[in-house]
Amino acid sequence: MASGKAVIRARPWVAASFLLPALLLLGALVVYPIGYSIQRSLFDASGDSFVGLDNFKEIFTNDGIRTALKNNLIWIVVAPTVATALGLIFAVLTERVRWATVFKLVVFMPMAISMLAAGIIFRMVYEQNPDRGLANALATTVHDTFAESSGWPDAEPRPGGPLTVEEDGSYLLTEPVTAGTPALLPLVAVPQPQLSDAEPAVAPSGDPGEVSGTVWMDFTRGGAGAENTIDPEELALSGIKVEAVVDGRVVADTKTGDDGTFTLPAEADGAQLRLTSDNFTSPYNGIEWLGPNVVTPAIIASYVWMWAGFAMVLIAAGLASVPRETLEAARVDGAGEWQVFRRITVPLLAPVLGVVFVTLMINVLKIFDLVYVIAPSSSQADANVLALQLYLSSFGTGADQGVGSAIAVFLLLLVVPVMIVNLRRLRRENQR
Amino acid sequence: MRGSGPSPGRRVKRATAAVVATTALALSACGSDEEGEAAQREPTVELPDLSGESLEVGAVWTGAERDNFVRVTEEFERRTGASVTVVPSGDNVSQFVGTKIEGGAPPDVVMVPQPGVLREFADNGWIAPLGETTRAQLDANYTEGWQQLAAGGDGDLYGVYVKAANKSLVWYSSTAFDYAGVSAPDTWDAFVDTAWTVWESGTTPVSVAGGDGWTLTDWFENIYLSQAGPEMYDRLAAHEIPWTDESVTEALTTLGELFGEGRLLLGGQSGSLQTDFPTSVTNTFSNLTTPDAGMVFEADFVGSVITDNTDAEVGVDARVFPFPAVGAGDPPVVSAGDAAVAVAPDGEMSEAQEAFLTYLASTDAAAIWAEPGGFVSPNKSLEFDVYPNDVQRGIAEALIAAGDDFRFDMSDQTPAAFGGTTGQGMWQGLQNFLRDPDDIERAQEYLESQAADAYGH
Amino acid sequence: MTAPTMTAHVPDPADAPASAPAGPQRRPWGERLASLASGSVVRVILVVVGVLWLLPTAGLLVSSFRDPRDIASTGWWEALTDPGQWSFSNYDSLLGNEKFTGSVWTTVAITLPATALVVVVGALAAYAFAWMDFPGRDWVFLVVVGLLVVPIQVALIPVARLFNTLGIFETTAGVVLFHSAFGLPFAIFLLRNFFAEIPRELLEAARLDGAGELRLFFRVVLPLGGPAIAALAIFQFMWVWNDMLVALIFADAGSPPMTVALQQEMRQFGSNFDVLAPGAFLTMLIPLAIFFAFQRQFVSGVMAGAVK
Repeated sequence: MASGKAVIRARPWVAASFLLPALLLLGALVVYPIGYSIQRSLFDASGDSFVGLDNFKEIFTNDGIRTALKNNLIWIVVAPTVATALGLIFAVLTERVRWATVFKLVVFMPMAISMLAAGIIFRMVYEQNPDRGLANALATTVHDTFAESSGWPDAEPRPGGPLTVEEDGSYLLTEPVTAGTPALLPLVAVPQPQLSDAEPAVAPSGDPGEVSGTVWMDFTRGGAGAENTIDPEELALSGIKVEAVVDGRVVADTKTGDDGTFTLPAEADGAQLRLTSDNFTSPYNGIEWLGPNVVTPAIIASYVWMWAGFAMVLIAAGLASVPRETLEAARVDGAGEWQVFRRITVPLLAPVLGVVFVTLMINVLKIFDLVYVIAPSSSQADANVLALQLYLSSFGTGADQGVGSAIAVFLLLLVVPVMIVNLRRLRRENQR
Repeated sequence: MRGSGPSPGRRVKRATAAVVATTALALSACGSDEEGEAAQREPTVELPDLSGESLEVGAVWTGAERDNFVRVTEEFERRTGASVTVVPSGDNVSQFVGTKIEGGAPPDVVMVPQPGVLREFADNGWIAPLGETTRAQLDANYTEGWQQLAAGGDGDLYGVYVKAANKSLVWYSSTAFDYAGVSAPDTWDAFVDTAWTVWESGTTPVSVAGGDGWTLTDWFENIYLSQAGPEMYDRLAAHEIPWTDESVTEALTTLGELFGEGRLLLGGQSGSLQTDFPTSVTNTFSNLTTPDAGMVFEADFVGSVITDNTDAEVGVDARVFPFPAVGAGDPPVVSAGDAAVAVAPDGEMSEAQEAFLTYLASTDAAAIWAEPGGFVSPNKSLEFDVYPNDVQRGIAEALIAAGDDFRFDMSDQTPAAFGGTTGQGMWQGLQNFLRDPDDIERAQEYLESQAADAYGH
Repeated sequence: MTAPTMTAHVPDPADAPASAPAGPQRRPWGERLASLASGSVVRVILVVVGVLWLLPTAGLLVSSFRDPRDIASTGWWEALTDPGQWSFSNYDSLLGNEKFTGSVWTTVAITLPATALVVVVGALAAYAFAWMDFPGRDWVFLVVVGLLVVPIQVALIPVARLFNTLGIFETTAGVVLFHSAFGLPFAIFLLRNFFAEIPRELLEAARLDGAGELRLFFRVVLPLGGPAIAALAIFQFMWVWNDMLVALIFADAGSPPMTVALQQEMRQFGSNFDVLAPGAFLTMLIPLAIFFAFQRQFVSGVMAGAVK
């Protein structure tokens, strides 16, 4: 930098008049608040009595604030790491693809969006119901491709009816069956839409040479039907796997037909009938993105969505300046691509990666809008971060500006190391 | 609860003073002579000339609710010449007012939904006690119970309840009930039986908005009020009995008959915790042929959510029954409402502020507000025929008929830190209970420790 | 803080990668790595990731054209196969809502002055730091650079009180001043480094012609600083336009900027996506337009210090 020696020795009032507006603004709105916050953080909620470091103690002992502190820690570690890693991967992958510009634009675009808009976007994405929320729609689609869904996930025995629910989720007819007497296996709680194609349930004739029975939805519209009886309008549950069990051993099995009936050979006489659990596995409903357990990672993901593009762009710029000769030389020496990447490229990129990482870390410290907007009230406490807590602590009837100021000072302390590193580097460069 | 009990002696004195004040009011102050559509009714209150004055009114309402309120303020502008702007306060009124007071530019009037917050405002000296003209209107139009809800810690009245809500209603899908062959239950046991029958019919019986803590507090309050009775309710609200009390255990056990059965709740317990209030309503009424859920519990304003977000018709597809009586108790009537208060950090209300509160306490304002629907007034002088439909009228009639035999939403009476803050107090405590309904003891311990913190005793 | 290492890029936006597909003579190692897994795999990954990145925004856009009843019952992707669900009614009601259109103007009324002020005040100071000699210059500059990383949250309480005293709480002026103050360290840092690169001869020649400092500043320094000023202006513009926190506290609640107006719509009694979705999309329009129109400047601005 060229400004080690100044070109002109300005008259003091000239320099002052150039500087005054900036210094006035900075002094009043940035420097003074720092001093004020430090002083205020040593006083209690009313601001009248000196409490020393009690407010800082409060940060580390108050459960709510500690959650915020813990979450901030997760944020600081996870968000910059993931964003930088993704940025590196994207930068590497796009380096040779001709239409990479389009990709870069797409990934970088969220930087232009406000945190508020991004928050609204991700509230929609994370909606729990897979019919409405994109994340769970994808999750369930993927899940259902690999896991078969069962025919009657909601069907259950009526409480107090002849069937009982076993530990493994199968339904057992406790009374053993006898050949010739049709067994009745009533189920309830099947939603109407699932019954739209069902046929009326039928009681089998009861051929003495075989075991037979019916599985059906034991509920008549309007509640008029009798319990455990196949009433005229009641509908059959087809395709249900029925097993005959003797002493824990399956002696025969079959599936119910369209009219809900099934027939088992005579060996099943005296066995217990079991409807296997795979008939009733409940469907996968996706992940509770905004539930107390994953709300912070979910919000971090939305942050990464916004900031990975930033990391990518900076790293790509860094990549472009990696000297080709060094790489070629290494290759000539027989190094594999992975080794070249790990041993040469990454070290050469280290300064850029560092800058990206530190920038993101500082940025993450101040995260407020995303958490405020995305976290639903039932998990806002689980998603809390310091910047949000500062806002909540500072204003309102329950406000304690002492604690609010202490959090502010604490945030400030966290960035001081970065400030010092920056200043050192700047001074070095100025002295060159 | 601090100072919630009525103080009759003081009231009589005030009332006398107020009557004198009314007659003394200047008659010259009537507004312009142009006849707006809203002005066809005979004015019941005289308002001063406030030309050149301006008022900023903070309220949580947005959308149609806000538009309806603006109609009310426009009439005030017409009659006084003052200009009124309505600004949204966001959900956290305390945060909103606190921020603005910090900056020295608070709104002139704020709508406060919680008596607990109102008392905190009064204790902080942020709001001014009502003037005499306002109190005259209150005495004419409000029961003692509704007046005293706006009492500060010092016993003075600080606000006017302008809007009421009946929080003891269960809304149900007629399709689901017809299909299951059930009718509206009037006891809690019958309610649980009904839920099971609806479940058997293949409809999930109840959608619980566990994502919003305040709906859970309303469940609890209705059960507790009916089961333990109004006196215990008041004592618990004031934290005179601990949350570990036997009566709380009983109420949670009762609530557990529903919350403990994942099959009765849409999405089970964890799904309920992810459901916010509007979603719980649309779950029940979006699909008219095969609804996702059969019933949803909450206040009369469910009606506007239904109208705004579904095709269901209130009174036809969406019906309502009063919250059932629990055990041997009476059916509960839990109410809520918004109180208008005048923000005045210097303790003195301006003429414009007083006139506005007086106007809001009058039947004139209530009538304009009631016309478009979605509003129930606690003003007992208001004639029921101003309500636009039978459902609204029925809710209003029940509310006025209850006189002072209602209890105000408990969570709103408690300090905001306990009854109205996300992630702590009653909201969080009952969310914990919904997450793990078997562990009543732990839920009670949590509630008690939070209450002890918030009440400071 | 993005630190001096990066500033080298600022005057030369050609480095902005959005505009720099790798030329044929640049055969980077990434190609080799990619060729290991074969180029087509990379392409597939990029397409998948790109689509994944676009989907959330696409969802918002599609939802903004759907009826609240549809939003409440099905996912936005249903609308892709059912053209009957599309309508402008959400936008109609939003744009017919004076409160919302008013908030657009408030946003403009905050953003433009806050941007202009930062550019002018920042450039004046940066010029002084770059070309004038006065006692303590280096130290003051270091302090200013140190302020780059101060979180704005630190200032919320004290500035609220200060504005209270000055009577500019809940005014556009207050919000503008707040944004300007917190934009200044970056502005001074960026512009000072850029101005320092101006050839000394140019300045001396102008001085010999008898130009005063002010004249020199406006006639020579500012025009030469064009690229850096553009980057700064765009960056500051975006930041102020997108801010919610500062406006939430310092702006007039009666006529708030768009972000706050939307935030006020988010209520516990109704997650009204029929208002939020089109509203959010409208707030994004200007930043996105600027982003696409001035990619280079935006990227270089971001690279020079997305420190806030």
